[in-house]
Amino acid sequence: MTAEALLTARGIARQYGQVQALAPLDLSLVRGERVALIGPNGAGKTTLLSILAGVCSATVGTIDWAGGTPLPVGWVPQKPALYPRLTVRENLRLFAGLEGADDALATANGLIAHADLVEFADRRASALSTGTLQRLNLAIALAGQPTILLLDEPTGTLSPDQRHRLWAWMDDLASDDMALVFSTQSLDEAVRHADRIVALVAGRMRVDGSVADLIRLGGGDPGDPDAAEAAFMALVDGTP
Amino acid sequence: MRSLRAGRLLFAKDLRVLVRSRGLLAILIGYPVTIAILLAIALSGGDRRPSVAFVNLDAGSGRTVLVGNERLSVGDYVNRIQQNVDLKRLDPAQAEQALRDSKVTAILTIPQGFVADLASATRSPVITLQTNPRNPIEAQAVERNMEAAIFRLNQALATAYVDQVLNLVKLIQDGGSVSLFGTSGHLEGLKRSEQIVRGMQQALRAAGQPAEAAKADSLITFISGVGDNLNLAKPAARSIASPIRLDIQSGTPGREPLSVLGIAAALVVGLGLLGVLLAAALLSAEREDGAMSRLGRGLVGPGVMITQKAMVSAVAMLVVGMVLLGIVAVATSVTVGRWAIWVLALVVAGLAFGAFGLLIGALARETRTALLASLMITLPLAVVALIPGNDVAYWVSAVAGFGPAARVFQQLLVDPTVSGSLWAGIGLLAGIALAYGVVARLVLSHRMHST
Repeated sequence: MTAEALLTARGIARQYGQVQALAPLDLSLVRGERVALIGPNGAGKTTLLSILAGVCSATVGTIDWAGGTPLPVGWVPQKPALYPRLTVRENLRLFAGLEGADDALATANGLIAHADLVEFADRRASALSTGTLQRLNLAIALAGQPTILLLDEPTGTLSPDQRHRLWAWMDDLASDDMALVFSTQSLDEAVRHADRIVALVAGRMRVDGSVADLIRLGGGDPGDPDAAEAAFMALVDGTP
Repeated sequence: MRSLRAGRLLFAKDLRVLVRSRGLLAILIGYPVTIAILLAIALSGGDRRPSVAFVNLDAGSGRTVLVGNERLSVGDYVNRIQQNVDLKRLDPAQAEQALRDSKVTAILTIPQGFVADLASATRSPVITLQTNPRNPIEAQAVERNMEAAIFRLNQALATAYVDQVLNLVKLIQDGGSVSLFGTSGHLEGLKRSEQIVRGMQQALRAAGQPAEAAKADSLITFISGVGDNLNLAKPAARSIASPIRLDIQSGTPGREPLSVLGIAAALVVGLGLLGVLLAAALLSAEREDGAMSRLGRGLVGPGVMITQKAMVSAVAMLVVGMVLLGIVAVATSVTVGRWAIWVLALVVAGLAFGAFGLLIGALARETRTALLASLMITLPLAVVALIPGNDVAYWVSAVAGFGPAARVFQQLLVDPTVSGSLWAGIGLLAGIALAYGVVARLVLSHRMHST
């Protein structure tokens, strides 16, 4: 794996009034890696992803991009961000157009095929099931051909079968060219689908490394199948 | 170039979403249009004559009284009063009941001996007006109508009385038969009296009594002086009959001021609500749909979004405005012309209302909140804009563009010329649109990057 950093965040933090949602942290993303952001509710996962996605700005800190200019970032918010009264095709065509695609319709049709949405293409988004809606949400994020894909708890509201289907697609998406960052409350998902784990607790980064690093921090045995979860719980409880 | 494209795409998206959101469309367009139609009906029906019970207790009311050259009877009074109110002939008990049931606004009673008093000219006849305290506004209108009617009748009577007095003056001067207030006879008149005295004076001189004849000189001087003074009294008496006269000059033929006021009010309230509510709903819906988090990442800037949504609002206002004006042109006698200026006025007013709505939409977090806030803020301002001839009301309602829009619409309906004040009004609306657009952009920019 090449170690070229697509993005390097230094000392980024976010303050909402008197509340510090995210304490200053450093983070870099390299091509081809899959990063899981784990942490309990209110840990700062969404805030960190929002800053990286450009949805909100950091109160302090800087973000440097490879090549000096911001790279295309795909953003998959937890709640599908799309127009319920437009069809699947219209949503994709609109966002492809906004992303600057020369032929927005062709891009939309390509994404429909890619996301396995052909049978729903002319159905309004409001009529889709939760799982299909989340696939559309993800497909829209791909309309700008992103180099970095940020997903905020993409499987949080899905049933096990929907989750399985979505992960199958996301694992396919992960490539040497694209960095994929997802937040989750499921340690199992993080262990299965990420190369690297970033653990946030109460707005502070506690771990940035592999699963083994997490277990080591928790003082567990890497051979124990429950060691990662125990280490994570210890982090949340503030034991280590 | 990319901003232009983004704005165009979002504009098309909004129109498509709007067309598909039938419930929202029905509320946003149906509600203001209904309000506009109801308001137009209510205001153009403002010249409805209030109902007044008429109780005639005068047995001699069929008699005609001759006042100078004016023949008057109770019937004349009734006919003249009926021009202002809808008189219902009832007996006293029925009238009381109708007043209690609020079927009439007032009871007008002609008392016994009314015509006799009028004929005698020695006592002022009294008409009684009893109003309904439960309907003070209409009662006040009836009181004013009746005061105006009585004033006009009194003026006619005064003129008739003065004419009669002047006839009497002429009789005193020239002599002749007299018939006044029931008495009749023959008068010699001042001129004839002077001739008689001069004849007697000559006869005395001829009889050799010059001293006696000279005594008649003072009498002749008196008679002549009285005649001259009575000549001067004629114009003075006419001016006393009507000291001040009101000259009402009618407006341009074919225009109906009250109807026009109603239509302009209906347009400004209906379209204003549409513009503000639509813009507020469009912007807050972006946030509610969650799309703002995608758009705000540099795909669409806040300025583009504000401009694009103000334009959607202006287009909606233009379409609904043209439909309403078409109805006015077809269904009423009000002339609607200068369509090109109407297009401009509706678009600029739409931008102003839209920008105001966008500010509310940018501040509100939910569509429901935005719509409720828009209604609560807009309705009072729209009502204030309907107060005619009040500068304070105008500037208060100008806060959301209602005052200037009302004046522009009224001018386009009433004034056949394109005046400088019309352009000033359109310019003010453009300024309001720009001001609110800038503020809404700042708020939206803050919202986009602080969530």
